[in-house]
Amino acid sequence: MSALAEIQPYVEAFKARPNAAEPAWLKQRRESAMQRFAELGFPTRKQEAWRFTDLQPLQRAAFPPPSSVSRVAAADVAPWLYGAAAHRIVLVDGVFAPELSAIGALPKGVWLAATAETLRTRPELLDAVLRETDALGAQPFIALNAALFADGFVLALEPSVVLGGTVEIVHLGRAAKRSSQLRNLIALAAGSRATLIETYVGEGDYWTNAVGVIAVGAGAALRHVRLQNESATAIHLGHQRVELDRDARYENFTLSLGGRLARTDIHLKFDGEGAACGLFGATLLRGEQEGTIATVVDHAAPRCVTREYYKSVAADRAHGVFLGTIGVRPHAQKTDANQLSKNLLLGARAAIDAKPELEILADDVKCSHGATVGDLDETALFYLESRGIPAAEARRMLVEAFAAEVIERIEDDAAMRAHLGHHVARWLAGGVA
Amino acid sequence: MLEIKNLHARISEGREILKGVDLTVKPGEVHAIMGPNGSGKSTLAGVLSGKPGYEVTEGQVLFQGRDLLAMAADERARDGVFLAFQYPVEIPGVNNMYFLRAALNAVRKQRGESDMDAGQFLKAVRAKLKLLEIGEDLLQRGVNVGFSGGEKKRNEIFQMAMLEPKLAILDETDSGLDIDALQMVSRGINALRGPKRAIVMITHYQRLLNYVVPDRVHVLSGGRIAKSGGKELALELEQTGYGAYGDAA
Repeated sequence: MSALAEIQPYVEAFKARPNAAEPAWLKQRRESAMQRFAELGFPTRKQEAWRFTDLQPLQRAAFPPPSSVSRVAAADVAPWLYGAAAHRIVLVDGVFAPELSAIGALPKGVWLAATAETLRTRPELLDAVLRETDALGAQPFIALNAALFADGFVLALEPSVVLGGTVEIVHLGRAAKRSSQLRNLIALAAGSRATLIETYVGEGDYWTNAVGVIAVGAGAALRHVRLQNESATAIHLGHQRVELDRDARYENFTLSLGGRLARTDIHLKFDGEGAACGLFGATLLRGEQEGTIATVVDHAAPRCVTREYYKSVAADRAHGVFLGTIGVRPHAQKTDANQLSKNLLLGARAAIDAKPELEILADDVKCSHGATVGDLDETALFYLESRGIPAAEARRMLVEAFAAEVIERIEDDAAMRAHLGHHVARWLAGGVA
Repeated sequence: MLEIKNLHARISEGREILKGVDLTVKPGEVHAIMGPNGSGKSTLAGVLSGKPGYEVTEGQVLFQGRDLLAMAADERARDGVFLAFQYPVEIPGVNNMYFLRAALNAVRKQRGESDMDAGQFLKAVRAKLKLLEIGEDLLQRGVNVGFSGGEKKRNEIFQMAMLEPKLAILDETDSGLDIDALQMVSRGINALRGPKRAIVMITHYQRLLNYVVPDRVHVLSGGRIAKSGGKELALELEQTGYGAYGDAA
């Protein structure tokens, strides 16, 4: 498709949107976002951030938002649910499905609802956040999302509120050649705490385009787990924009297993002193899967800490990409940042590109990074086999161990580690050649 | 049990190391293979256990009448061949208990036995742990991860005790052990001696043989068995050294 033909279906889908009763500022905002997308078009591989990502599956067909919502039975969602969740929102094809959700009783000071519902009842929660993400620059998929999003989820905590139970958000994609344009917001006011798991699953060849805007206030703490388990023919683009205030804590763990083409972007900015982030994840790829993790951490304040550790496994003809940038601004002294990317190639035709990058403009900092790409450890493999464990099982055990080592970084939450471990084992049951 | 006939082997694409080894081990016997550094001891252990990186260029190895060299490493293990590693491998992320249970069930399946349930398994584990004085906490770690040198060697013998092989090949199991660990390991090996099991101990030193008394002792030198005898041969070597067998050290 030509550049114009690529964007045309989305321009038309935008024009055809029902005239929803939205605030004037939002309408305006959608207009300008659509214009921006039309100007930018799809990214090309000439752009550094997209150099290694093959967008062909997204460019070969058009994925307008769905005109109707698929019917989904509770049994279709059940296998994906997190048993230990206290509050649950399920979205189907990008739209809140109340019959599948179980928000439950929320403590005082906690807002958990769908984005559309929040726009109707508490627009002030979204106003600032949506205006601000307008200024995202050359990010065509965020612009497209800003123009077309229908729903998503909002979790907002008032100061000092501690939400004890885990919040679960399940995004289910079902509509063929359609896109879920999800806009999610997490806002933790000063001193509050929450744990959240987002699960992306589905069936068929749909496109999930999710944008999450996350603000963690002074001294607040958020654990954010993302389980990307989209259908093998789906496309997943998930962009997180995170801002941390003074002494905030943010931990993101992304387990990426599904999708024909999947990309997770995390753009994190330290806005206040003494904050810390942990960015962790494991990506398992097989067949012709294309999987990218791209992180940009902006140390714009002194004394902040970044711990970044990503692992990926590529089998068959799969292709994995890790792009990690840590930037330290001139005044961000006493920055302590390290980044590590470890990768495992399981097939002669599999490939992994790892590109760690530090841009340090301050002089009193402690920063390190590293990347490795290797094969399964032959001596470990032989050790297991020498005890009678069949070769295929031994390989499976070693890949599982490779992923488990990073899942271990999720401290003090055995249920979550077990949940992610279960999904890794499920993936591995499909065999690793 | 084990018949090695004119075995020649080399490191893949490298020089020949075994140059015609002949050895017969019967059920119930304990053999010690001694020899200077570089005589081919570890190569022999590697070839028998199916370790990658070796190439057999001539000869034959029969295990219970079957062509051992035609079997894959995991197949040999399930059939009852056990190698205690000179350098046990650390495998972070693979839990020791999980690993041991997978191995035991694979071996039991081959023997036509059903999987052990968790209770039976734990009971068996505890009995053997006690024998080797291994703390139960070590089993909650990754395989050999954070183990001291002595703990690793004891873990090898512990695994052997759990898997109950027909033929155990112990590659320098005594190296790097203090006297207490050596006694524990010896106790573990002796507990496994039996009329249906054969043990081949590969060692540089005579020390282990004070505790595990062999039926036969062989000197491996220049890739061949240069001399065979009873347990007194080990004592003789302790006196004279390997000088007569081409080791300057």
